[in-house]
This record gives sequence, C-alpha cells and structure tokens, in this order.
Amino acid sequence: MSFLELAAVEKKYGALTVVKGVDLSVERGQLVCLLGPSGCGKTTTLRLVAGFVDASSGEVRVEGRVVSSAGTTVPPEGRNMSMIFQSYALWPHMTVFQNVAYGLNLRKLPADEVKRRVHEILTVTQLLPLEHRYPGELSGGQQQRVSLARALVVKPEILLLDEPLSNLDANLREEMRFEIRRLHDEFKYTTVYVTHDQSEAMTTADVIVVMNDGYIEQAGSPEDIYARPESEFVARFIGGTNILSGARLSDTALRCNGDFVLDCGSGKLAADGKAIASVRHHDIHVGETRQAEVNCVQGTVARQIYMGSHRDYLVTIPGGETIRAIAPVEVKLPVGDSAWLHFPKEKCRALSR
Amino acid sequence: MTATQAANGIVGEGRRKRVDLSIPTFVLLGGLLTILVVLPLFWIIFYSFRNDVDGSFTLQNFASLVTDSTLLRAYLLAIGMAFGVGILSCLVATPMAWLVSRTDLPGRKLIRILVTASFVTPPFLGAIAYEILAAPNSGVLNVLARKLLRQDSSFVMFDIYTFSGLVFAIACFTFPYVFTLVSNALDRVPSDLEDASAILGGKALTTVRKVTLPLVLPAMLAGTLIAILQALTMFGSPAILALPAGFHVITTKIWSLFQFPPRLGVAAAAAIPLLVITVMLLRTQKTILGRKGYTVMGGKSGTPRITELGRWKWPSMAFVLFILSLTIFLPYGAILKTAFMQTPGAGLTWENFTLRHWNFVLFEFSATQLALKNTLFLGIVTATAVTAIAVVTAYLVTRRSIRGAGYLGILATAPVAVPGIVLGVGLFLSYANPTFQLYGTLWILLIAFMTIELPAGYQQMSSSFAGIHPELEDAGRIMGASRLRTLWDITAPLLRTSIIAAWCFVFVGTIRELSATILLTTANTKLVSVIIYDLNESGDLGAICVLGIILLAVSFTVVCIANNIPVLGRARNVMPRG
Repeated sequence: MSFLELAAVEKKYGALTVVKGVDLSVERGQLVCLLGPSGCGKTTTLRLVAGFVDASSGEVRVEGRVVSSAGTTVPPEGRNMSMIFQSYALWPHMTVFQNVAYGLNLRKLPADEVKRRVHEILTVTQLLPLEHRYPGELSGGQQQRVSLARALVVKPEILLLDEPLSNLDANLREEMRFEIRRLHDEFKYTTVYVTHDQSEAMTTADVIVVMNDGYIEQAGSPEDIYARPESEFVARFIGGTNILSGARLSDTALRCNGDFVLDCGSGKLAADGKAIASVRHHDIHVGETRQAEVNCVQGTVARQIYMGSHRDYLVTIPGGETIRAIAPVEVKLPVGDSAWLHFPKEKCRALSR
Repeated sequence: MTATQAANGIVGEGRRKRVDLSIPTFVLLGGLLTILVVLPLFWIIFYSFRNDVDGSFTLQNFASLVTDSTLLRAYLLAIGMAFGVGILSCLVATPMAWLVSRTDLPGRKLIRILVTASFVTPPFLGAIAYEILAAPNSGVLNVLARKLLRQDSSFVMFDIYTFSGLVFAIACFTFPYVFTLVSNALDRVPSDLEDASAILGGKALTTVRKVTLPLVLPAMLAGTLIAILQALTMFGSPAILALPAGFHVITTKIWSLFQFPPRLGVAAAAAIPLLVITVMLLRTQKTILGRKGYTVMGGKSGTPRITELGRWKWPSMAFVLFILSLTIFLPYGAILKTAFMQTPGAGLTWENFTLRHWNFVLFEFSATQLALKNTLFLGIVTATAVTAIAVVTAYLVTRRSIRGAGYLGILATAPVAVPGIVLGVGLFLSYANPTFQLYGTLWILLIAFMTIELPAGYQQMSSSFAGIHPELEDAGRIMGASRLRTLWDITAPLLRTSIIAAWCFVFVGTIRELSATILLTTANTKLVSVIIYDLNESGDLGAICVLGIILLAVSFTVVCIANNIPVLGRARNVMPRG
C-alpha cells in the first residue's frame, strides 16, 4: 500500500469535468511532480489532495485512511498537510517569525518549543536575520523561502507545492529548484509538486506525472518520461521532438509520408489508426550524403542557424513535413541545398497514442 | 443528521465533525436581504393597482399619472431639472477637472480637497445656505447688491426660488460626482497616448480635442448621469426651494400625496416610473463605463503630462475660485454667519454676534436633544448592522463557498436603483399597517437606512475581499486552522481598515438622509435632518445653521477618521511582483 493514493478521482463543476478519473500512488518520502499545460487539471488534483476541493467521485487515501470521497471530505485543517502557494500566501500583517510560528501555535506547542523550532527552520532556510521583517519588506526569493519554512516547520505528513517558482525570475528559479530538492533530501517529506515547467520537474522529481485534459498521460521517472514517452503529447511536451507519421508496417515500423521506412528501436505503435513515432532534434544525423541503409530520407534545407555550439536545421522532407535537427557546427549546408537525414533506430520511439 | 452522514464521519477517521455554518448563514442572509429589498417593492406594485377606498383592483392610479396634470407636470419639471443639473455639472466640472489634473495650476491638491468637501455637504443644507444668500428679499447677496448699486428694496438681483435657481443650487453639490470621475480618468490617461499624438504633429489643443477628450468622454457621461440621477431623486433641495416657488417636482409631489388625505395608490403608481428611470440611467451608466478598453487604462505609463497654463494661469485661477466660492465659500460662510449673528443680513460686527441660536438649539428647543439622540443612535446602529451584513455577504459572494451566493450580491446591490423617496413609499406601505405597526418607531427608519446604505457598504467590502488573495485563507486552513479561526486570525485583521472605512461612510450617509425619512418620521422619531427641514418651514434659519454645523462637524470628523486610519503600514504590497 502506498502512502498517498488517488483512486479514480473525478472532479466535476456542473457539466464540466476537470479531473477525469485519476489514479496515482505516491510512496512515503517520494517527490512527485504533476506536470502539464495550464488547464490540464493538475492544480485541481493538488487541491483535491489538500481538501480544498471535494471529490465528485473516487477516493483519496493517506496510509489507507480515506480523506476524500464523493460524500465526505476531511477539511484541510484536519489533514496534517502543508502547502506552498503560487502567490506564497504570506500573511502581510504578520512578521516572518509570526508567519512561521502560526502552525505551531495552532498545535498548542509551548512557547519556547515554538521559538526553538521556528529558529531551527529559519536557520536552514537562511532567514534568521529577517525574522522580524514583514513579508512586504522581503524580496521575491526571500518570500518564497519564508513560505517554504512555514510549510516545513509543522512537519507535515504530506507537502504540497502549487507552482511555487512561477513568480520568480529565471536565475532565482533555477537556484530555488535545487534548494527545494536539497530540503527534500534533508527532510524526506512525501511531496506533491505541481508545475508546468518541464525542467523544474526534471530537476526536482522522483516521479513525473504528465497530465493533459484531466487525464494522466504517463507517470514515471524523469528518464522514463523523456527517453520512453508513450504518447505524442508526452513526447512533444517534454523536451520537444519531431513527430513522424505514416502507415503502420509492424509493431515498431512505419512507412512515413515521403515514402521511407522508419524502424523504431523502442515503443510500440497503436494496433490500428495512425502510426506515429518520435525522434528528438539532437538525435538526428544531418549530412550531405546518405549515411545508412534504413531510416534515411533526403530533404531540402529550409533554415540553418549558427548557434555557436551547434547548428539548428529545419529540413523539408518529400512528404511535406519539416524536421528540426541539431547538427555539429562542422556540418554546414546552405539553405536550399539537399540534405540527408538519418534517424538512428535506437533513438526512434514508436508511440501508441 | 442521518445515519449515513454519521457513518461517513467515522470513515473520515473519526475527525471532529464540522459544524458548517455557511448554509444557515446563507439562508438567513438571503431571507433578510429579500425582506429588505423585495418586500417594499412588492407592496409598491401591489398598492399601485389597488383602489385606496375599497381595496379593489384598478388601473386608475396609473391613469392619473397621465390625466392628473399636476403629476405629469411634476414629472416633466423633475426631468427638466435633472437634465439641467446634469449639464450644468458637466460644464463646470470638466474644465475644473482638467485644470486640476493636467495643468500647472497652483494649489491643485487643495482644490481637490475642497471639491470633495462639497460631497460631504448634505444638499438640503446647501439649499438652505442659498436661501440665506439669494432669497429675493432678505437674501444676503441681494441686500449687498442693493447697497452697492444704491437701489431700493424692490430691487432683486438673485432669486433662488425659481426653476433656474433650483437647478443652480442642486448643481453646486452634484458637480463633484462629475469632477471626481473625470479627474480620475484624466489621471489615468497614459501620457504616451498624448505623446503619440504630439509626435505625429498634433498641436497641444488638437491633442486635447482628438485624444484626451474622447478618452475621458465616458467618465464625463457617467458622471453626468449620476448627477442627473441625484437631482431626479432628491427630496430636500426641491422641497426647500421649489415649494416656495410654487411648483412641485416628482419627489415633493409624492410626499404631498402622503399629506392628509393620503392617496397611497397614486403615490405608489407615481413612484414606479421614478424607479424605472433610475434603473435605466444606472444601466446606461454601467454600459458607458463598462467598455473597459476604452476607459480604463493601465496606469503604467508614467505621470500624466502637465500643460503649462502660461498667461492663462490667472484667468483659470479666477474661474476655479469663482466656482469654489459658489459651492463652498459662500454657502459655508452664510451658514457660519447665520449661526452666530442676530439676523443673517446683519453686518459682521460684535454687536450682532450672538450665541442665542446655539443656546436655543442645544438647550431650549425640546426637539433637538431627541433628534440628536435618534440620529446618533440610528447612525451607529445602521452603520454597524450594514457593515456586518456587508462583510458576511461579500465573504459568501467573493469566496463562492455556496452555490447561489451570487444572488446575495445582486440583492445587496439592488437598492442602489431604488430612490430614497420610492423606498420610503414602499416601507410605509409594508410596515405602517396593523400587522407590523412600525410606523412612528425608529425601527422603520432603521430598516430604511439599512436598505439605502447596503449597496455602498457591500461594494466597499466586496472590493476589499477581492483584494485579499484566497490563498491567504487557504494557507491558514492547510496549516491547521478551522474556517472560523482563519477568518479571525487572517481575514479579519486584513479587512480591518476597510471595515472601519465602510462603517464611517455608512454612518455619514445615514445621518444626512432625508428623502426616505421624510415619509417615515413622526413627532417621536424626529431626526436632525427632519428638524432642519421643519425649522426651515418656520423660517428659523439661525437654528438650522447651528444644526447644520453640528451635522457637518460630525460628518467631517468621521470622514477624516476613515481617510486617516493607519493603513497596515509596512505590511502592504505582499503580492508577488510580476
């Protein structure tokens, strides 16, 4: 039995179904990332776990206890969870110390114990010198750390994060990603983390759950999700890719538009319907001549950009599709010239959806 | 409590069962608001189809709107007056707003404050001030003019007891509506829009005409409509100035229908078109202001550009001073002088100085003490009740914790479309009957004031709730605080400022109300505003001015408190940037 389980959880608002039967298991101490575009239901799923949103059907269980089901919802305050909000939600009328101490005071801990634990967590998050400041007097990054400290100080059973970094600028965001991962490694809280930023998910998560349109598209380790996508949506959403489509020849081979055969090293094509495969930009070999017997096609260079470390090509192939490929700087083909593309078999991934 | 629910409670790991107060609160509030808002309107409609004598169904009441020439005339005059006021307000307020927001006119801040001050002046007090200043015989200005021009007592320079006099006296105290809207809009027109016109070769005046003016046009129209609405539904000023002039506007006409023998059916029927016009005007105003891309401009584009007046500086100054003296200096001067002088027309000398009026009002005149007590009592109770209702309603509506909460918001805003006199009629019909017998008690006035002030209080509170990010409350819940505890620890402290402000504004609005009061008050439930009106009929201007000063002093004090509450100083601006 997993620590946190979602079983066929659905959420409807009137006629609109936002979460469409989500099944998910999170082991104790794992950091799970819900990743998806905006409107995919990931934040609603998180708020279901938190108890802010009632489930329309299905169950949420913590250590086997049902905390949400169609009829009953244990209120957020009864769940011993913590949450970090997109807006940080720091109470502007309380100092940093008061913000962090609030949860401990609610738990009726003695004053010196509260003080000790607040100081402990403020030290870990490097906020101790700021304890008497108000949130309005802090920078974005500092506010973010206060919000982390406030959530961690109560030693929650489950820590929830709702796009915690989306309000930070790029440099700070990168720094905070590693900070969150460091704190997770230190405290080992079971964590559910919502984001739409794939590199954020890659750096922080043990398990990435890709969501789309209220469903889970795929769940797995970052490597699974990147190297072994199961659907076109996942392949495109994580890392960017070329999708080639054509007629199905076998479980792993298809005849692509432009009349060449693509033999995939992994994955499985859908038994019927459109056959599609994914090849990442930097896995394609670009050359003036044909480089292999199979998985090759000749096209025309439509665009070529010198990027310093590499060249970024757009090549139009006979089927009319445009393939984006990354080539070493030495491979220099002017626009309008013909180019041979080679898709190495082990890098081609057959997709079932 | 059913067995399944109890069982489910156990499934939820035996956690303390929540007592969910939101449903009973919702029902209670819904009921209360319905009674406050819907009931009076229902009775108006009911009575408008009822024959006063035998209680049978009739259309006669509506027919008399057209056939009774005094009613029709009152409507036409009221509409004419309202449009006159609207146009005059707009003509005066727009140039002033431009001068104050967009030029280097000296003392702009002070002018703004002074204009806002005329907001606080109850219009009926302004009308009385103009009675003192410009009554045909005894008016201070006429006396002065006779002296200066060496004319005899038949010479009359100003006569306030005329249609135009009435329009003027009302416009003096409604132009701030236009002024405030237009100057706010001008403050927000980004200067780059004007710079863009200038860079394309537009001269300063062309830019004003082609860019600035069209951009603030919606604000001008909206402000003018509000001024029209104010004038149309006003009771005090017309009662003070139009009745001596020998004509009725619709509000005074409705009031006269309540005089013996009362014609309730006709009064109810006469109130309905007023209600319809008000709703239409408000809808139009909303449509005009609602075109967001047109009126509301993001405030990021730096300071608005300032036109240098150059040699026009002094003429502009003279214009502003002239307007301010008409709306502030002269009326307030007249009130102050009358309060401390033997007779209003007497010269400003020590011999004429007296505290007689103060003595009379505060100690001799028996009605004052009661009226002051009533007014204060009603002001405090109304402000407290309305603020409380507004807070709960705004919470339910903005947090959408219950389905259907939106209707509460609609109910709470609806009275804005009900003119005071119409509400007065409705409440009289609802509660001055053998079942309730509230007529002649303070309760009927309390109900009236609560209904009238509800929209203002609600709007204030709902915008402040909207300003508090819901995640602040969510954060409290997930940290382990119950819903009520969160409200107490987090929401309440953040709302404190707005709650005090809402309370103050409701209080000020209440103590100056006259339109609904005049129909609902009796000898035992006199209020300061009614006493002022009564004293005016007996011509005791000195006493009126003393009461007026007391009213104004209280209002200004409360408004100052509202504007100067220490805002949660350092604690603001916690929302993430960007």
